[in-house]
Order: sequence, then structure tokens, then C-alpha cells
Amino acid sequence: MLTVVRTFWRKHRLLLLAFIAAIAVTAFFAVRLLVFTLYWADPDHRRQSLEDWMTPRYVAHSYNLPHDVVREVLELDAEEGKRRTLADIADASDLTLEEMQRRIDETARVHGGGGD
Amino acid sequence: MDAVFTIVANYGAAALFAVTLLSCLALPVPASLMMLTGGAFAASGDLVLTTAVLSAYAGALVGDQTGYVIGRSCAGPLERWAEAGRRRTFLLGRARASIDEWGGVGVFLSRWLVSPLGPYVNFASGAGRMHWIRFSVWGAAGEVVWVVLYVGLGYAFAESLPAVAEFAADFNGIIAGGVVAVGLWMWLRLMQKRRGRLKRSLSSDDSGVTS
Repeated sequence: MLTVVRTFWRKHRLLLLAFIAAIAVTAFFAVRLLVFTLYWADPDHRRQSLEDWMTPRYVAHSYNLPHDVVREVLELDAEEGKRRTLADIADASDLTLEEMQRRIDETARVHGGGGD
Repeated sequence: MDAVFTIVANYGAAALFAVTLLSCLALPVPASLMMLTGGAFAASGDLVLTTAVLSAYAGALVGDQTGYVIGRSCAGPLERWAEAGRRRTFLLGRARASIDEWGGVGVFLSRWLVSPLGPYVNFASGAGRMHWIRFSVWGAAGEVVWVVLYVGLGYAFAESLPAVAEFAADFNGIIAGGVVAVGLWMWLRLMQKRRGRLKRSLSSDDSGVTS
């Protein structure tokens, strides 16, 4: 095996280096996947906090809350056509993302749901 | 990652169409991630599932065809270039033969399993004059797997979208890296075998001379 590698190193150095690089990339992603899986296995790490990109519907889905309740908590008017993200809502009102998070957490507690 | 989520939230199906199209032309856009996001927004009710799937699929088909046509337009110049030397002609002939043998499956698998190679397979299929119907049928079948897989994963695991995105990216990295590594290893072995054959034939020539 070692002699094979040595021959490759002498005769096809570039090809061997490319091969080693490909192995390294594969190993990198394998380790990343493993680390992330271990992290993910801990239920505490699964709770998803509110982010700018989320929509009220997505929040409702993620926190297992009725959509109307989320709309109410975020002080939104009755059903409207356009999709809005929490960032849009924060821009248009004086609610901050932290405040939304606090309210949603509170509501989730009341509804007996959680982050799951 | 958040920027990608925001784009899908703001532009919906149009974003899915555009991103799968561009990704089939080798532009570095996060198509898989966007399809996951599209699936998640379909689950939450922000997008309609069939619209999300169909727009991503339509984008992918248009992108593949565009890539094929671009490759095809290079076929003439490539052949003229190949005619200039015997070794070049030989190489092109070999490439043609492997397209004939493996082209269909290659197109299919490079849609979803090794999707980073997809755009280059499109160009190569056109440049190698792979039959258009064969390319289109295998390609269309592969894109079904790609789109349904990613939009479906996003839909099924919508409540933890960032986590699914991370899993999918790592998994993709492992597959792509692994396939390239296996390919390079086979190439190395091939070179080694050829050298061994060359050596053997040289030494048998020598012994022929001495005896």
C-alpha cells in the first residue's frame, strides 16, 4: 500500500494531491455532520428562536400555535394577502424581535405547546 | 443562510424558479437550500406546495435545456479542434463512447445525487452531441427526484428548517466529496495499470532482443 502511494507521489503527484483533497473535503463534512447531529440530539438545542426571515405562519407552525393567535400576539390586522417577514413587521410597527420572542414564548406556555 | 430564507419569504415561487434555473448553468446559487425553504413555507401555508414544486421543477428543466444548447453550440468548434491532432480525435472519440455508455445514468444521477456536477454534465452532453431526447428524458426524471426530495424534506421538517438545511448541506458535501475521491482513485489505478502494461511490454521487447 505504502509503495503504491509512493509510486503515485512520484509519478502522478497532482492527481494524488487532488485525491487527498477530496478525501479531506469528505472527512470535513462527515465530522460536521457528526458534530451537528450530537448537538441536535440534545432537546434543549432544538428550540428555534424567532428570526428576521420567519413569517407569522411559519412561527405558528414552528411553535405549534394557531395562526390567528400568532397574528393577534404580533398585533397584525385581519388576514392580508401579502407574505410578510418578522423583519417587515418590526419595520412597520414598534415591536422588536425580542419583544415578539417574549410574547410568543409566553403564548406558547399558555397554550401548553413549546418550541417543538 | 438567513438571507436565503428571506428571499424565499419575499419572492416565493418566482425565487424557486430563478434559483433552480441558474444553478443548472453552474452559477453558485443555493438552489437546494432554497427548495428546502420553499418546502418549509409550503408546510406553514405561506406557499402552495404544488406551486413551489412546479416552479422549482420548471426552472430546473429550462436551466438544463439552456445548458445543453450552450454545450451543443460548442460541439462544432470542439470537433474542429479535435480534428487537428490524432490524440485529440482519440480523446473525443473516447468521451463520445463513454457518453453513449453511461450518459443516461450520468445525467440522471448528476441531477440529484451529485448535483454539484449537474451543470457541467449539461454542457458536456450538448458538446458531446448526446441525443436530445435521451438527455431530456433522463434529465427530467432526475430533476423530479431532486425537486421532490428537497421540497419534500423542507415540507416534512419545516419546524426546524435551519437544522434540516445544515444536515442536507453536510450530507451533500459527503456525497460530492466521496464521488470525486472514488473517481480520482480509479483514475490513479488506471494510470498505474497502464504504466505496468507499458513496462511489461518494454521488458518483453528487451528479452526478445537478447534471446
